[in-house]
Amino acid sequence: MSTVTKNADLAVLDSAVAAMIVPPSPRRASGRPPRRPVSGHRVKRRAASVVFSVIAVIIFLCSVFPVYWMINTSLQPNNEIRGPIPNFFPKDFTLGNYSTVLFEPSRSPFLPALANSLAVTLLTVVIALVFAFLASLAVTRFRFKGRKAFILSILIIQMIPAEAMIVSTYRVLDSWSLLNTIGGLTLVYVATVLPFTIWTLRGFVNGVPIELEEAAMIDGLSRTGAFWKITFPLLAPGLVATGVFGFIQAWNEFVLALVVMSRPASQTLPVWLRTFQQANTTTDWAAIMAGSTLMAIPVVVFFLIVQGRMTSGLMSGAVKG
Amino acid sequence: MRKLSLVALGAATMLALAGCASGGSAASGSSTPEAGSIRVWLNGTDTPQAARDYLKTTFEKQNPGSTLTVEEQSWTGLVDKLTTSLSGSDSPDVVEVGNTQAAAFTSAGAFEDLTSKLQELGGSDLLPGFVAAGTYDGKFYAAPYYSGARLVFYKKDLLAASGLSVPTTLDQYVSNGVTLAAANPGVSGIYFPGQDWYNALPYIWENGGEIATDDNGTWKAGFESAGAIAGLKQVQQVMEKASVAPKDGNETDPQVPFCAGTVAQVSAPSWVKGSILAAADAKAPGCPDQTANLGVYALPGKNGGAAQVFAGGSNIAIAAKSAHPDLAYSALKIMLGTDYQTILGKTGLVPALKSLSSTLGTDDVAKATAEAAANAKLTPASPKWADVEAAGILQDFFVKIGQGGDVTALATDVDSKINAILNG
Amino acid sequence: MTTLLGSVSSRLRRPVGRKGLAPALLLVPATLILIAIIGWPLLQLVIVSFQQFGRAQVFGQAAPFVGFDNYTRVLGDPQFWQVLARSFLFCIVNVVVTMSLGTLVALLMTRLNKFFRTLVSVGLLLAWAMPALTAVIIWGWLFDTQFGVVNYLLSQVTGIDFTGHSWLIDPISFFAVAGVIITWQSVPFVAFTIYAGLTQVPDEVMEAAQLDGAGAVQRFRLIVFPYLKSIFLVVTILQVIWDLRVFTQIFALQGIGGIREQTSTLGVYIYQTSLGTGDYGAGGAIAVIMVIIMLAISIFYVRQTIKEEAL
Repeated sequence: MSTVTKNADLAVLDSAVAAMIVPPSPRRASGRPPRRPVSGHRVKRRAASVVFSVIAVIIFLCSVFPVYWMINTSLQPNNEIRGPIPNFFPKDFTLGNYSTVLFEPSRSPFLPALANSLAVTLLTVVIALVFAFLASLAVTRFRFKGRKAFILSILIIQMIPAEAMIVSTYRVLDSWSLLNTIGGLTLVYVATVLPFTIWTLRGFVNGVPIELEEAAMIDGLSRTGAFWKITFPLLAPGLVATGVFGFIQAWNEFVLALVVMSRPASQTLPVWLRTFQQANTTTDWAAIMAGSTLMAIPVVVFFLIVQGRMTSGLMSGAVKG
Repeated sequence: MRKLSLVALGAATMLALAGCASGGSAASGSSTPEAGSIRVWLNGTDTPQAARDYLKTTFEKQNPGSTLTVEEQSWTGLVDKLTTSLSGSDSPDVVEVGNTQAAAFTSAGAFEDLTSKLQELGGSDLLPGFVAAGTYDGKFYAAPYYSGARLVFYKKDLLAASGLSVPTTLDQYVSNGVTLAAANPGVSGIYFPGQDWYNALPYIWENGGEIATDDNGTWKAGFESAGAIAGLKQVQQVMEKASVAPKDGNETDPQVPFCAGTVAQVSAPSWVKGSILAAADAKAPGCPDQTANLGVYALPGKNGGAAQVFAGGSNIAIAAKSAHPDLAYSALKIMLGTDYQTILGKTGLVPALKSLSSTLGTDDVAKATAEAAANAKLTPASPKWADVEAAGILQDFFVKIGQGGDVTALATDVDSKINAILNG
Repeated sequence: MTTLLGSVSSRLRRPVGRKGLAPALLLVPATLILIAIIGWPLLQLVIVSFQQFGRAQVFGQAAPFVGFDNYTRVLGDPQFWQVLARSFLFCIVNVVVTMSLGTLVALLMTRLNKFFRTLVSVGLLLAWAMPALTAVIIWGWLFDTQFGVVNYLLSQVTGIDFTGHSWLIDPISFFAVAGVIITWQSVPFVAFTIYAGLTQVPDEVMEAAQLDGAGAVQRFRLIVFPYLKSIFLVVTILQVIWDLRVFTQIFALQGIGGIREQTSTLGVYIYQTSLGTGDYGAGGAIAVIMVIIMLAISIFYVRQTIKEEAL
């Protein structure tokens, strides 16, 4: 066992070192199999890639089916949603639910809630990423007293069930006159996603061998320079993954938003969505689905933007070819 | 039941007298309150727009220089939101709260004491069960706002096909349901999803049982009593023999199976008629082709007449932390006034004032509503009752009954759970 | 194995022992926010767990200290232990399923061309982005007793009449449905994060691991895994924590069907105790107990990671 691991381990180090020594080759088109001389391999690889593509389509369908059902529902009148025979396509296609959600005057309006949600979420993502990034550097690239305590606290914080802290969190914001403010809710959300973001980014920074930076420093770069030029680009995928996480958390959070933003003008989208659930009239499920669909769009847009950035610019100059 | 409502009535009367006695001192503040702006929290879309507009204009006319804003709250998460907001610095002034949720706040000191105003707000004309719900420790905190009633909707053709007529007793209602289900496979003679405990209560009450009674400060749950057991057996009979509804389903959207043709009779809140008959171009269309076929009656009691059914509804109160309690009271008075309550009555909500029940109208639903409301009954007036509901104990209990569990054993078990909470 | 650990951590070892202000400055912003928004309320939570604290106390009444009363009450309640055992079982199954599926999807993504990779990412993202409430409503409809698509399709395909079959009334079946919903929404995070981790791995290593032939699992374990170990650990711990704390999905699903008493998990139990029934003292005690238990479980992993880095 030990010899095997040792060999494999050496292989890892070898290739890591090789990666450092060999100058970066032009980035090959991602996912395409590397050129190999043996043709048998190519055939096998092609077959494999067909199989993988099929699996990819299956995964896509499984993930997307409930989403499809949400959109499908949002395009039907409320009475067509549930019946003895399900409608796999909108039988009586209508955009009426969207107009209900967006324009009906007796409903609390969509646009101000959208503006609030966007402001809170974007601020949360930016602030949390910056603060978490700095903190994760501190705990991975430095050794200092209290470091272990910090990491441990970050972990413990995430274990606290949020349901138990609602009242006291409200008190804190109230004492600082931060109720019903974008700043107040942002602060709470930053605090909720920070531990996760630090914890995860720490994993990503740890994943970048310090030797890469050192090699660059031998080439004459400063420590900071080495970090920005070598390590930071490699963290881009991690930043994107945690950023998307933060975005979705802040975007969909309900209970704290309900309690902290108690005035209608400061409502966020998840709270707005619940106003469609009624006690003494029929709940307009189709409108809820239309609202949910509208809510999902900004998340997808955000993801497409950051994903584009992730694959295009940032990584091309990296060590990794 | 009689005992409980008598206690409630007694409390209400005593409070009314107390209100008379101390009326003078309370009136001093209401003459010329300082101008300001107040916020009124109403839940969902239950209060019609006309009532909201009336409230705002009347209030601002009566209190020149002051403004009133109605802020609509969602029922989801309402208790959480009230707990935080009412205890914080940004408290609303007037809040609506579900009648079974009221006790949680009256007992905590979240609301302004209205004992001295009871008479002025309507006194003995107010729905007594709701006055009891808003009363804690001899003090009156939350006024009745409106009530709802549960009615039985049925398909006339199905009843006729089985040669049945509208039942006059509860037992007949149950046997009709069983007959209908047997005659129409796949159809519920009485649609009864397992979590729908509100609709199970009349069976208990009509057979002489009680959910819980107050015995000198100690609550005693009553599902084990002989009467309650008889009622529970009837519930089980309905769920097993008359209903094909999901044994663990909830009571929302009964119009869906009704319109799908799998329901012959269903006991549901009065507004469900609107959902069933909603026009094809409505946002939530029902099955308007059933208009002529849809019948309605008040659930009959064990010995004829209307059964004691559960009354849902709301209470309305002034926040203890309101910055303008006088203005808030002025708004509350408008909301319990004849004009405002008439608007509620005309939309099918049972008004908070008994004298206005005629505003419900004269159609069959209105008649049945008035009949049912007259004999409506509430859950035990313990501040901890809301906790029993929050824990979902009764939902679990009736799901297990629906599954065919042993009624006596289940009743013993649920009683010990309820006792633990109410006396905990 | 020790050699492996040793060499991995050697990659991380600080060559220059620079100390001083830099780490402190880097930590200041995050620490300040955490102390203010989490630390202070947390302290209150702990205090409350030693008090008799109900709704009246929220509205300003004095809260008497009762020592360990809340703790003995909670620990003496058989329901607490049932909930705890149930939560752990559910959590373990969920974490195993989620981590395996997530890793497989991430590995698959490295082998796909751009089009299919984007397709999978967008599919995963859509699942992830759906608000939890909406997700439960939709899944609830799919598994609906009366009009559910699942019952409909099963009846069509198998020929057995599934109409009226309740998926939630039996606790095992309830948790299977809950597990599907939760896994469906957590696999995207795991897959994205591990995929992001995989892109950090030098291509040569990936290629070495991708060579066809027997022992693919072993290659993954021995060649790729050491690079991902840190992220794997991080994600696994997070999944354990989240799945133990799960609230919205279970709470909403209980409204649709099933028996609460047999299906409540820790998150729901805490909510019912504190905000639901207004017993904030006991709610606080459960929260504290829960954190201690989670710590006890994860301490092994935590010590391992911290020890490794501290070398």
